[in-house]
Amino acid sequence: MKDFLATFKHDTWVMPYLRKYKKLLALTLFLGLMTFFCGSALMFNSGYLISKAARHPYNILMIYVPIVLTRAFGIGRPAFRYAERITSHNWVLRIVSDFRKKLYQAVEKHAVAIRQNFQTGDVLSILADDIDHIENLYLRTVFPTVIAWLMTLIIVIALGYFSWWFGLLMLLMLGLVVVVMPLWSVLINGARESQSRQLQQGFYTQLTDAVMGLGDWLIAGRQGDFYERQTKPIKEIAALRRQDHQFQWWRDFTIQMIFGIICLALLIWSSFYWTSNAASSNWIAAFVLSVFPLVDALQSVSQGVSEWPSYQRSIRRVNDLDTTPADEHDQTTLTEPVQMLRVADLSFQYSADNHAIFSGLNLTLKAGEKLALLGPSGTGKSTLLKLILGDLIPDQGTVQLNDVPVTRLQNERARLFGVLDQQPYLFNTTIMNNVRMGNLNATDEQVKTALKAVELDALIATLPDGYETVVEEGGARFSGGERQRLALARILLQDAPIIILDEPTVSLDPITEAHLLATVFRVLHDKTILWVTHHLAGIEHVDQVRFLEDGQFDMAGTPQKLYATTPRFKRLYDLDQGHDTPNEEV
Amino acid sequence: MFDPALFKLPGMRRVTVILSLLAVVEGICIVLQAYYLSVAIVGLWHLHSLATIVRPMLFFALAWTGRQLLVVIKNRLMYPLVEKTTGDLRKQVMQKLYRLGPGYVAKTGTGNVVTTALEGIDKVQTYLMLVVIKVVDMMVIPWIVLIYIAWLRWREALFLLAIFPLIIIFMIILGYAAQAKADKQYVGYQRMSNHFVDTLRGLPTLKQLGLSKRYANNVYQVSEGYRQQTMAVIKIAMLSTFALDFFTTLSIAVVAVFLGFGLINGTITLLPALVILVLSPDYFLPLRTFANDYHATLNGKNAFTAVQEMLALPVATDRQQLGEAPLDWHEDSTLSLQAVDFKYDDTVSQPALSKLTLTAHGYQRIGIIGASGSGKSTLINLLGGFLTPVADQGEIQVNGQTVSHLSQQAWQQSFFYIPQSPYLFHATLAENIAFYQPQASQTAIEQAANKAGLTAWIQTLPDGLATPIGEGSRGVSGGQAQRIALARAFLDDSRKILLFDEPTAHLDIETEAELKTTILPVLQDHLVFFATHRLHWINQMDYVLVMDHGQIVEQGTPAELAEHDGAYVRLRDEMVGAI
Repeated sequence: MKDFLATFKHDTWVMPYLRKYKKLLALTLFLGLMTFFCGSALMFNSGYLISKAARHPYNILMIYVPIVLTRAFGIGRPAFRYAERITSHNWVLRIVSDFRKKLYQAVEKHAVAIRQNFQTGDVLSILADDIDHIENLYLRTVFPTVIAWLMTLIIVIALGYFSWWFGLLMLLMLGLVVVVMPLWSVLINGARESQSRQLQQGFYTQLTDAVMGLGDWLIAGRQGDFYERQTKPIKEIAALRRQDHQFQWWRDFTIQMIFGIICLALLIWSSFYWTSNAASSNWIAAFVLSVFPLVDALQSVSQGVSEWPSYQRSIRRVNDLDTTPADEHDQTTLTEPVQMLRVADLSFQYSADNHAIFSGLNLTLKAGEKLALLGPSGTGKSTLLKLILGDLIPDQGTVQLNDVPVTRLQNERARLFGVLDQQPYLFNTTIMNNVRMGNLNATDEQVKTALKAVELDALIATLPDGYETVVEEGGARFSGGERQRLALARILLQDAPIIILDEPTVSLDPITEAHLLATVFRVLHDKTILWVTHHLAGIEHVDQVRFLEDGQFDMAGTPQKLYATTPRFKRLYDLDQGHDTPNEEV
Repeated sequence: MFDPALFKLPGMRRVTVILSLLAVVEGICIVLQAYYLSVAIVGLWHLHSLATIVRPMLFFALAWTGRQLLVVIKNRLMYPLVEKTTGDLRKQVMQKLYRLGPGYVAKTGTGNVVTTALEGIDKVQTYLMLVVIKVVDMMVIPWIVLIYIAWLRWREALFLLAIFPLIIIFMIILGYAAQAKADKQYVGYQRMSNHFVDTLRGLPTLKQLGLSKRYANNVYQVSEGYRQQTMAVIKIAMLSTFALDFFTTLSIAVVAVFLGFGLINGTITLLPALVILVLSPDYFLPLRTFANDYHATLNGKNAFTAVQEMLALPVATDRQQLGEAPLDWHEDSTLSLQAVDFKYDDTVSQPALSKLTLTAHGYQRIGIIGASGSGKSTLINLLGGFLTPVADQGEIQVNGQTVSHLSQQAWQQSFFYIPQSPYLFHATLAENIAFYQPQASQTAIEQAANKAGLTAWIQTLPDGLATPIGEGSRGVSGGQAQRIALARAFLDDSRKILLFDEPTAHLDIETEAELKTTILPVLQDHLVFFATHRLHWINQMDYVLVMDHGQIVEQGTPAELAEHDGAYVRLRDEMVGAI
């Protein structure tokens, strides 16, 4: 219970939305209630109808009202149920729209940190799933439970009207079904859920391991080991499922037994209360028969509530997201054109116990200059780019454009920096729309000009839908080089003075790479370029080369000068050109 | 709804027969329960005392308990079979997977394979658990109830009988209507539902373009559009449930009114009338519970079909043509391919590799070069036996012995395969290095790691060789991953064949230069196939295959090829950027 309250203590995702769209929510609950009311009332009324008819009333009109009501309830139940389902889905989907926007905004603040994460896709899918989960929380748990409670309340009040002690007895019995059993389920299930999740997760990891390393298993010839590994988790999962099922069967059995007892109790109560005369005894069948339609409605509460632990996890996860708006009071704008990008005396480390990535790093890049940055992975090339873009804040020193720190220019960022990285994202829409994202005000002609500049016009002309061709998920329709060209066209429209190239050719083959680099440096000839690259192909396009090693630049100069004076550079360059004489050491 | 393949499952027929018998007993319990409850009510209706209805109440309680117990018994009877079946299915899937090999994984996608083996089979479990019992119930219980009602009064029974097919027809018609509507909107619908994840994934790009803030409203609007489309589909989809509800409740209402008139006319007495009224909801109950779980069963059925399809895939046979023991590859050994073709898909006419002819012998070092898409990796995969060539075309020989493919047990245990990103298992570093030699001693592992140039890195790890690596554990850089793969080769010197598939393609030039000094000694005394587009490796090769459009367009020693102005020279020129 404490756990339950703790979940909602700082909740900004579930409770506020129960208040929003209040009317629709009330309507949903009302319709749900009416569904079950009609179900019960149909049997109640039918029971009364035939009991009354069995007294052979002298006039058919005596049972006219029950006959009409029978039909009304008979039609009312499906109609209300249909309406309830439509409104509840409508309500939930409205909430989902709000959720998505809110989740988007929360994630947007950390857009760059998310990309850093290795399993980007997974994290995002998990968050998107969480929202679906909360959707189910309403449809499968909250609505049925609240409706069942309201129904219970109505029954108890109605019976209490005839005799208060019997009302109390019913409260006790139905309370067992709609409160005690669900709580018991959630307790049992909660304990098992975490165990099950662990097992499932373990099995998942193991399976992924097995599938991704399948080639190695095969070549190693370790067939027996391969099979044996899967046996244990399969057995454990089966055992857990068995317990789960057993619990559910006996729980449902218990609930049914309680309903059996309720029937008997009603009979006994009726024998005292409704047998004073023939007219009142017509009500006995009505009361007893109206119990049966309730079984369905009230029984499902336990199952719905027992799913709570998995919802709870989702609620916690989304609540843990930082949804406070960003601090913007210090932001300014750069009025004059960019003259230079200066990194001055820069020091940075990720946390106190990590080693320093940079200490006292300096770099100046004048407008129009082109610089290539190399260095083995892990030396901080991408960290430097993040510091330059303002995604990370330096511990000491500054990164400035002219004389303004970039951290104060964050709102201006897209106007100042264009970024082409390893895998520029293409949205699942048309080529035209994707490229126009660089500048939403661009005309069709401008977009086409940009696409022509990156030499995609010929390819697009061969596509059946031309510029309106959908790029498919992640740009899957196009090859790696073509995707980079589309992104390059987008950057051309963006028209920022400084372009960051973050290993844009890492996954391309040398021929595609050479062609792409030629295009990149041709169309961006008037821009300031900072190019992080992993090898020396195309290095002749730049004015300056820097090698980053251990937080410092250890080789710097024009490519021509480095080739002439630095043997290490010469050896690497030759290697890239395919010249490598055996026995020559680095 | 009910897959005939289910009956082929071992033990299923027997269980179905028992379940049917139990359903008969359950049907009788339902009738008895209704009868005794009605007797009790009628007793009170006649203003008899409580004492007179104790017996019927007791019988009612017994029948009610019996009925509920039967539900549990049926589940308990069914469950071991379901558990065994799904457990077996999981095992079969894993065994099949091993036999299908990495070629299948590459084609299907890791995610899909894992989903089939995990969630797919979970769904099958739910499906089996639900569908058999519910279908049997639906086939048995309504008829027992109906027979009893007919025995009491044929007119109501006839009405209930007539309404049953009507409900099913309406559900099917409306189901189709909803499907048609959903199909019509499917493309847009699908795009909208994926839009959100698409947007989240593209967030860094949106931020770079300065669009990320204003895109929030776009997210909301698309989601609202999605809501409207979904509602349009739901309105129709729910109609089929509405039809079921409508006909069942209305039937009960009509029966009640019929009975009311019958009672007034005196053609029936209260007891049978009440029994019929109590029984009529139970007559529809199996159909309703089945319909409620229809979607779960549909998912399960599709998953079951998917699993069955995977298990039915053909696998390479004749894997022992070279025996079971690893080959003893030495200086005089030969591998030859004569006009071998390969197709990814039998239905396409254009082969992915065509007319491959090559001979490799002894400890030759063979470089494979070509533009991307020229078939380098496909050739390596064919040599590794991960792909099976077109049957009855060309000839493959190992040491003069003809084999139908290279997925030979003996062949596969004679080589190491080092791809662009060697897979690292979720295990310790030592276990990863010793993957091919699980019995290797700690000292041997250390020596292999040292030869592979890993010692300095290992010293920085908290637990040295015992540090867990792989997915979700400590990150390993691309260069280190290659070194771990090399350490595997150093540890096991008996495998004399090495297949490299662009091992350095994604490494930075400095890391590559360092790694090269480690790789070069391994190439000694091994038959090497080395696919690469880093040209400097060619200097260490004895022989080169130049690939283009799935064909070997030129082959020879590097010196021979450099001499005449052919594909090799053109490719070299193009690769170094002389455009």
